[in-house]
Amino acid sequence: MSDFLDRLRRGPCLLLDGGLGSELIARGLAPGTPPDLWTLERPEELTAVHRSYVQAGSDAIHANTFGSNAARLEQFGLLDRIEEINRTAVRLARESGATYVIADIGPTGEYLPPVGHGDLARWRRHFVQQAEILATTPIDAFHVETMTDVREALTALDALQEVAPSIPVLISMAFESKKKGFFTIMGDPLGPSLARLWAAGPAAVGANCGMASPQMRALAREVLSSPGGAASGAASGEGGAASGAAGNAPGSPDGALLVFQPNAGKPQMTGEGIRYAQDPAEFAEDLASLLSFPRVAALGGCCGTDPRFIAALRARLP
Amino acid sequence: MPKIEFAELAQAVIDGNTEEARRLARAWLESGSDPLLAIEQGFARGIHRVGELWEEGEYFLPELIQGAEAMKAALETLQPRLGAARADQASKGCVVIGTVQGDLHDIGKSLVGTMLTAYGFQVYDLGSDVPIAAFVEEARLRRADIVAASALLTTTMVAQRELVRAVTAAGFEWSPKILIGGAATTPEWAAEIGAFHAENALRAVAVAESCLG
Repeated sequence: MSDFLDRLRRGPCLLLDGGLGSELIARGLAPGTPPDLWTLERPEELTAVHRSYVQAGSDAIHANTFGSNAARLEQFGLLDRIEEINRTAVRLARESGATYVIADIGPTGEYLPPVGHGDLARWRRHFVQQAEILATTPIDAFHVETMTDVREALTALDALQEVAPSIPVLISMAFESKKKGFFTIMGDPLGPSLARLWAAGPAAVGANCGMASPQMRALAREVLSSPGGAASGAASGEGGAASGAAGNAPGSPDGALLVFQPNAGKPQMTGEGIRYAQDPAEFAEDLASLLSFPRVAALGGCCGTDPRFIAALRARLP
Repeated sequence: MPKIEFAELAQAVIDGNTEEARRLARAWLESGSDPLLAIEQGFARGIHRVGELWEEGEYFLPELIQGAEAMKAALETLQPRLGAARADQASKGCVVIGTVQGDLHDIGKSLVGTMLTAYGFQVYDLGSDVPIAAFVEEARLRRADIVAASALLTTTMVAQRELVRAVTAAGFEWSPKILIGGAATTPEWAAEIGAFHAENALRAVAVAESCLG
């Protein structure tokens, strides 16, 4: 039995890794090629990225399984290799020598009506299928991340809990800064959404992607300082979409352990290719400012953050 | 039959009530009133309000799309009764839209297409992962006023530059404007490649309207 959950609860704050997809792109992953394909065809590149994060100081590495669910793999004609893709990705992450390996569970990429034609029951089957494969691999935790619809996040969480009740689950949503606060594109408000997720029993809840570290710092402080209770949040978050009014309602995940993984600012096209604007020192400074809160259990980076960002943050951690 | 107020037409769109919008549009036609008036004074005001509510942070993606769907239902009912000349007057222009090759992200592009349609543009949506040549061919076929290309990934943005070059090289007798958008794009990037830029679906409507002047 892994001590991941103990470590998460006891501290010190766990250092996660940074961007994986953006690092693969920097190593030549071509436009339109799913990162999952590199698990099979360029395993040495994945090992190299994972190792670079371990060397930079990451305690935990996300396996390259973000898009390795049936809904996404089917788009690329890779559905028949779903088991091999998930298993190999975990093995490659393990080979990095990281203390902990986290199976990454990304969204289906579909949306519920009226935005799309998604279906919660079908999504649940996809998450169950991916979890059944991953639960038999040597992982320490799941991380459901970059979710924009609290209903999909809850569906994924429910599937993981059913398949693998003993494996801890982190769960993060992607919020945007709007005039009236932080919301997902589907209109799920920050505090009530995290309260709803926390009530469903994950090991930690939080936010990833969507914004750079200065905004993420503001988001984290709002979660940490919100006076509302989980109960009111659970009520006002009902329905997810079309709940814009809930933005003003109190609601925060009381007592929840928290995880934050911001991006490295906006990508810019330059003569030498794609560059992210942010300085690793600013990223480390913003996230280190959250360390005085014991509930902040894990920090890391999302798109565009590289081992320099993780190393800069490592230097600020106790 | 009681007289239908313009505000009722607008409200059906604001509420995202597709059935009600269609019902009102039919009732409007049955009453013998001018369909163009219903669009311009009624339904269009509704979609403008939906856009405002979205920008103010009151509405989100689902409400925005529901409003646009209601608007489309009204337009589908009214436009066939406008007659050719006035349909032309009601149309704001022809747009060929797609997500560039290598990029499967569809939702932002589809939303732009939906909003442009709702605002009275004639939109031909080529889907995602669209080769440059397909954009150019469709633009030729439709005599497009605007070619709109979305790129969500930094890796696929380069295709937008190629699109600008390909449309220029095609040497059409008219000059289609190129409109780009997508999470990876910036106004600086658009300026560099010689395209118009929109940061979201509503801005896309405003930019499309202004660039056709």
